[in-house]
Amino acid sequence: MGADGAASRPRAGVVKLASCDGCQLTLLDLEDELLPITERFELIEFPEATSRRSEGPFDVLLVEGSVSTAEQAEEIVRLRAQTRLLVTIGACAWSGGIQAMRNWADEPSWRASVYPTPDYISSLATSTPVAEHVRVDAELRGCPIDPGQLLELLTALRTGRRPQLPDEAVCLECKRRGTVCVLVARGAPCLGPVTQTGCGAICPAYARACYACFGPREQANVGSLHDWLAAERAPSDVDRLFAGFTAWSEPYREPAGRAGALARERALAREQTDA
Amino acid sequence: MVSITPTPLQLLRRGDLAILIGLLRDDGYTVIGPTVRESAIVLDEIRSLADLPAGWTDEQAPGTYRLVPNGTDRLFDYTVGPASPKRFTLPPRVPLATARRGADGTASFEPASPQTPRLAFLGLRACEIAAIQVQDRVLEEGPFVDADYRARRDGSLIIAVQCTRAGATCFCGSMGTGPEVTSGHDLVLTEVGDGFLVASGSPEGTRLLDRLPLAAASEAVVADAAQAVVATRRATQGQVAVTGLRDRLLDQLDSTKWAEIADRCLACTNCTMVCPTCFCTSVSLASDLDGRETVMTRQWDSCFSAGFAKVAGGNFRPRRQDRYRQWLTHKFATWHDQFGTSGCVGCGRCITWCPVGIDVRQELAAIAPPYAPEVVPVAPVAASPDAYSVGTIRATNRETADTVTLAIAPGEERFLATEPGQFVMVELPAFPPLPISVSRVADGALHLTIRSAGPATAALTTLQPGSQVGLRGPLGHGWPIERAVGRDLVIVCGGIGLAPLRPVVDAVLRDRARFGEVLVAFGARTPGDRLYSGEAESWRAGSIEVDQIVDRAGPEWTGQVGVVTQLLDRRDWHERSAVAFVCGPERMMQATVSALRTAGITRRHIFVSIERHMECGIGLCGHCQMGSVFICKDGPVFAVADLGDTFGREGI
Repeated sequence: MGADGAASRPRAGVVKLASCDGCQLTLLDLEDELLPITERFELIEFPEATSRRSEGPFDVLLVEGSVSTAEQAEEIVRLRAQTRLLVTIGACAWSGGIQAMRNWADEPSWRASVYPTPDYISSLATSTPVAEHVRVDAELRGCPIDPGQLLELLTALRTGRRPQLPDEAVCLECKRRGTVCVLVARGAPCLGPVTQTGCGAICPAYARACYACFGPREQANVGSLHDWLAAERAPSDVDRLFAGFTAWSEPYREPAGRAGALARERALAREQTDA
Repeated sequence: MVSITPTPLQLLRRGDLAILIGLLRDDGYTVIGPTVRESAIVLDEIRSLADLPAGWTDEQAPGTYRLVPNGTDRLFDYTVGPASPKRFTLPPRVPLATARRGADGTASFEPASPQTPRLAFLGLRACEIAAIQVQDRVLEEGPFVDADYRARRDGSLIIAVQCTRAGATCFCGSMGTGPEVTSGHDLVLTEVGDGFLVASGSPEGTRLLDRLPLAAASEAVVADAAQAVVATRRATQGQVAVTGLRDRLLDQLDSTKWAEIADRCLACTNCTMVCPTCFCTSVSLASDLDGRETVMTRQWDSCFSAGFAKVAGGNFRPRRQDRYRQWLTHKFATWHDQFGTSGCVGCGRCITWCPVGIDVRQELAAIAPPYAPEVVPVAPVAASPDAYSVGTIRATNRETADTVTLAIAPGEERFLATEPGQFVMVELPAFPPLPISVSRVADGALHLTIRSAGPATAALTTLQPGSQVGLRGPLGHGWPIERAVGRDLVIVCGGIGLAPLRPVVDAVLRDRARFGEVLVAFGARTPGDRLYSGEAESWRAGSIEVDQIVDRAGPEWTGQVGVVTQLLDRRDWHERSAVAFVCGPERMMQATVSALRTAGITRRHIFVSIERHMECGIGLCGHCQMGSVFICKDGPVFAVADLGDTFGREGI
């Protein structure tokens, strides 16, 4: 895509699988930039925003959500075949999302505990990232995604440069902001050192520990941070920190899996007690 | 002696610090000083005395910082917080330029030239001022200059505070940067009971003093303040062995310890962000949707981040261990080469603010331990060339036709602590003193293996048990066995040269697992001239390879014949990490060094023991000078690299 796109607007779509729609809202919330974006991209499919529908083909397709049902598993393959550049947006599409915690659970018993008539529900036993099903060309992390990163991606698509999506730790951004480290100064169980930034290090700026919604950064040394945090608290409590929005991603999957397995054991024990 | 308290000493009352803050603000300065925010003492704009952290102190340890009340109204009773003045002199984000691209293909660049405030820093510590001076060298002292940094520095004023307490992570005294404030300041304060001792460090400082209400300070107050600063210095000294640190670190590029640290290191960049001297930045771009206008911003970056060493083809430092090594060796070694100073000022921030408490002091000691104790203890007896201690010969053992080992019970215990490769001066009354290497320390006796080569050695080799000799020592620096830990060790010797190396073999056998493969390559004139030939089997039993060669052999010899370098011909240590210890005649050592280098061992890792005429053994008599060293007190063991081109040169 060249810089002079107005004449040849790329055909773009925004679709969702299993997700809360929050990442799509990030696009709608761009407000000032929204109209210029629609002038430069032809939005042919965006059910969240318009009743106009299309089955493609797409020059660029933003995909939100994880693959959680058999229909979604088929749908994503069909969409891929219609798409030149497939971009996942958000933690669900990238890692399976918070709903991937069911990957360690006894799915039928979960379903039965939530729905009065579980037979109406048809879902897979696992929630998995889009990349486990089809090739992904680019990804925006986060729960939800960062509006600045979304704009940067669209700008990069237009100008032909590689999008500047840093793969460094949240810590770097905290220090640039001048946020005092919540882990060192308060002992908060912050996952920032092993988590990719891009969020702008929002949580520590409000004295909250990072809970890793952007997922692991490259070279994430989960073992070392886990050891350090476990010196002050139960190792199982540290495991649970990783069992969040990006639990199914490597290398969070190992501690998250221990938390998931423990939760499953406890659920089974409760069922037996109830019985 | 550096004066450790400011002179002349006048007292600024605590409340009158408000006048100083007011004066600075009146003069158009933005006052940057300590204030409490987010559970820490950070640097920020100070508008009044009330902004300062009265009654707060900090407790710091590796990976931990806690703000605690201290029950006083002292204003500067903390050490250093997470933010250094770098945040204001080299801000985390500075607009660089705006680049524009026209529809017709034209390009234009407009520098941002941001307004820089006039900054007055209040409460900077000696380490922080040292860090500013380091960054001045990097960013201002050319040949290229960071204009934004210069603008901020040119307008700035520094009111320093001398530390009267040290935190657990402070080590300014070790790096020679504090706690005394000796340069780079306009005013310096030392907090005392009811105010501050104050002195000027510049004309601007003196002009400020003239505008302040000052009182005379009592001698007792001055003495107490001096005492507190001295105590701080003592508490921060001796934590990093800085002598030779550059060379020691660069010598350890292949250390296995880097990977061990990487097991703990998060590569999270915190150490570099809080470091007051780290200066690395990158440029980030923000474009409009069409890429017509791009705002370029310079922002802090770190050698620990993934993108830092990335090029289109890949990443030069992909692993955490690569990045940690880069940071540590730059900070403590190559910084000296580039900027003529250490990159570390000993503020301890990288220790406190490491989320997993990695302590650079400990890592330096583990990766690049001192080759020898920082202060070489000088035995009193060695201080004088005439002060001999008497030792008694307990046993003698004839090793070869002309060589005898004397087992001597020394008159003083310290001889039994002789390190491998050290020597003693031995004097038989009526004969000149001789330097003799110690060939073993065992069972309370010092073993000296002596070849009869002249009248004095002939007399020594014929002594009987019960005879006495004079001893001075132990003297000199021996074999750096610790540098061979974790590496292959190659011991090459000719003739009597095995004697000073036998204690190395003994040391290796005592702790065999610490070393890689160990080879003893030994050359002698004839089979009968081989020293300690009865011990070779026990060495082999201890997993030491023993390879021997002789110049001339009789019919009973089934081994190799030739020179010792032949034993090295087919060896290859290129892909290994090996250290070599060599002792023998100088020509033999020269040929051996050449063979070892061909086989892949660097000059820095080849050590030789040099023989010279010695009289005093302690660097006073001048006999053994060789180039820039005295063999006796600087050696006799040297890395070949340290001998320069004097080694092997005739007539030196």
